[in-house]
Amino acid sequence: MNASVDKRLDRKLMSNLSFIRASFGNSQDLVIKEMNNDNGLQAALVYMDGLTDSTVIHHVILDYFMSEEQTASRKSGNRLLYLKNAVLAVGETVTISEWDPLFYQLLSGWAVLLLADSPDAICVAAEGWKDRNVSEPTSQVVVRGPMEAFTENIATNRALIRRKIKDPQLWTEGMEIGKITKTSVSIMYLRNVADEKIVEEVRKRLGEINIDGILESGYIEELIQDTALTPFATIYNTERPDTIAAGLLEGRVAILVDGTPFVLLVPALFIQFFQSAEDYYQRADISTLLRILRFIAFMITLLAPSLYIAITTFHQEMLPTSLLINLAAQREGVPFPAFIEALAMELTFEILREAGVRMPKTVGQAVSIVGTLVIGQAAVDAGIVSAAMVIIVSITAISSFVIPATSMSISVRMIRFVLMGLAASFGLFGILLGYILLVLHLNSLQSFGIPYMQSFSPFIWSNQKDTLFRLPWTKMRTRAVATAEKNLVRQRPRNKQKI
Amino acid sequence: MSRFTRRVGKLLLLMLVWSIAASAVSGCWNRRELDTLGIQLGTAIDKVGNQYRVSVQVVIPSELSAKAGGGGRSPVAMYEATAPTVFEAFRKLTETSSRKIYSAHIRVLIIGESLAREGIANVLDLLSRNPEARTDFYLMIAHDAPANQILKILTSLEKIPAENLFYALDTSAKTWAPTTTVTIESLIEQLVTDGISPVLTGVRLEGKARQGENISNIQQADSRTRTRITGLAVFHSDKLIGWLNENYSKGYNYIMDNVTSTVGHQTCPDGGYIVMEVLRNKTKLIPKVVDGKPVIKVKMKQVASVADVECKIDLTKPETIKMLEENGKQRIRGVIQGAVEHVQKTYNSDIFGFGNTFHEYKPKQWEKWKDDWDELFPQVKLEYDIELQIPKVGTTNDAFQNYLKK
Repeated sequence: MNASVDKRLDRKLMSNLSFIRASFGNSQDLVIKEMNNDNGLQAALVYMDGLTDSTVIHHVILDYFMSEEQTASRKSGNRLLYLKNAVLAVGETVTISEWDPLFYQLLSGWAVLLLADSPDAICVAAEGWKDRNVSEPTSQVVVRGPMEAFTENIATNRALIRRKIKDPQLWTEGMEIGKITKTSVSIMYLRNVADEKIVEEVRKRLGEINIDGILESGYIEELIQDTALTPFATIYNTERPDTIAAGLLEGRVAILVDGTPFVLLVPALFIQFFQSAEDYYQRADISTLLRILRFIAFMITLLAPSLYIAITTFHQEMLPTSLLINLAAQREGVPFPAFIEALAMELTFEILREAGVRMPKTVGQAVSIVGTLVIGQAAVDAGIVSAAMVIIVSITAISSFVIPATSMSISVRMIRFVLMGLAASFGLFGILLGYILLVLHLNSLQSFGIPYMQSFSPFIWSNQKDTLFRLPWTKMRTRAVATAEKNLVRQRPRNKQKI
Repeated sequence: MSRFTRRVGKLLLLMLVWSIAASAVSGCWNRRELDTLGIQLGTAIDKVGNQYRVSVQVVIPSELSAKAGGGGRSPVAMYEATAPTVFEAFRKLTETSSRKIYSAHIRVLIIGESLAREGIANVLDLLSRNPEARTDFYLMIAHDAPANQILKILTSLEKIPAENLFYALDTSAKTWAPTTTVTIESLIEQLVTDGISPVLTGVRLEGKARQGENISNIQQADSRTRTRITGLAVFHSDKLIGWLNENYSKGYNYIMDNVTSTVGHQTCPDGGYIVMEVLRNKTKLIPKVVDGKPVIKVKMKQVASVADVECKIDLTKPETIKMLEENGKQRIRGVIQGAVEHVQKTYNSDIFGFGNTFHEYKPKQWEKWKDDWDELFPQVKLEYDIELQIPKVGTTNDAFQNYLKK
């Protein structure tokens, strides 16, 4: 067989059907329904079992047979057109004459109607499979705010965003990525707000991806990020439609990937990882306080163990006398240096955390009992670690959960160990050294051409209304300069009545 | 992007090189775990013959921990060493101590009286040069007792004797005029400043010394042996020349504006006492030259209240308060005058910093007097401008003694 024959559908129905069978290796879920009637006209309906909606399938068959008498008199070409436009009124239909797109549609859950003596096939949208319902978000919980999260279905996800932004300027572009998985990916942006350069950059980077499969948005995230050599995420991900809608309103670009509830948002700034959707739903004053609290927690989770190591092994003179004596009393008899003690405790905690995420829910209680008893009580009682170290490790661990974005708390987890090592070898000087390098590194990062530390460095005064502080909505009249180059104004000043 | 990646790569490489280099050249990084330190809280330095005897008080942390409770052992350990110089003696301590003596957290330094009479400058140099020491400890002079003996007296409220001395001085300086706190920085400053001589608080031993060292001393509510902070040691240059009693010490602190709160009494017109509590006090010294002679005007503003009435007096009358204010002024004046005259006659050491006041406000005049200040100081005359207010009499008005049933 030569290639050109291979690519296009044949006129003969039987050879088409056998080609499909051969291509799929007689897969069990491939259903081919051959249909004959008195006129001897032959047709076949091909679909994938489990990916299609049975009512639509029945509709197609039923409609086809009902219209057969009228159809019979027509010539094959017209017959197809007639069927497509007049009979199969089920929704979306396309006519396809090549195998590749036909297979793609077939595997996406469309039903394919093949007619005898026709080189074209009608594909009928009949997707219908078991989907998870829209449920509450699990990774980014709020007390006040929408309680819906994205699902694995990209169409549902698009709809969830559309339901929040009802504007034709919200443009969606689709593409398939992954040579084998052919995962559908959508980018969404507000055309009149988003920076065209960033949208173009997103298109370009997505277009450059050449991989066999995309199973989660994490693949895309790693493939399009600015640099891989950083512990920090330069792309934001969330399962909350309201966060994505807010991002779109700020001029960011959303990337939706089929098969995952996690939607990407670019460009991402450092500060964004400390902002929660709830900040905008609560009063401005409490939101500001909470943001400051998160930064304090960030500092604690980053620095607490290393500061403890540095001060207790190098700079004892910095402690108040009574605290020093207290700590010394606790360390009396502890067989390890403070660094080893801290490292062991941190490791234990990381193991417990990882176990907590992976373990089956039924054994959860057992693990947590063993965890708290072993770490907290027994280790201190046995004199292997000091109680102060347990406190430090606990506050570090708890603080890390305050950061709203998990991608940021993961980064901090890694950096913490580096700082601990520096603190153990050089004391506070080591911590300072590490800190300076960290700041330098953060300042060198970019996300889709936007400096990662934007609003702070370069410092943008007008952006401060929504960084560390969250001003009341009445004061936030413009969008952040970084992402929304055009169409900056968000609110017109209200007309105040003059008295 | 690749250029960017290279840059980050370079940075990481640089970090690696740095840390390797730094760990190679670091050499004597004084990393020390808390449980390898002997935390020294008190130091006593005496002169024994020609040599210095250094005694340090080291805490035993396990005796102080909340969990273990007192195991009946002493919460502190004393180590002593004698050597020709102070620093050698400090190092020699390791002969007896298992841990390195860590001196940063020293709370008190007690100097023996005999050493103080010979001069304390040599001792202070070592302590001010020590890079690891905090400078917030207090200095004291052991009065009538060897300095190390003072440190050895076990105390009950504060388990560590050195802390007990520190807080005892700290609290009494805030609420009781006759004591004053001196840190090493202020002492050295006074030693090198023209026209002022330092004073240091004295500390005495009460009871039998041997008994105070024993743990049984703190097993009863009324410890048999204790230390008492009392009186001020007067220095001339760096040598101790004598002591001020309680009343003179009070006068000294009034002049030096060290008084934040204290208590004093007056005699009522018909006998008995009325006690006043000083709430606020502010003293300013104003130097004047009258007939070519130095005169210091003591300008003082004091707010006091009636704390205790032990006589028959009608506090509801404004005249009574007026009278109390007048009497109070006279009393303060007397206290100040007594202290100054005593120091002028007995010690001739300008502990009040009169010379320094001239130096600050009348530098030209000071240049002339500087060299013979020792002769001029006894001639300094005082003028007084004392303002005393008694705005409150406590939570009752008239004393209930006036209405006692017969």
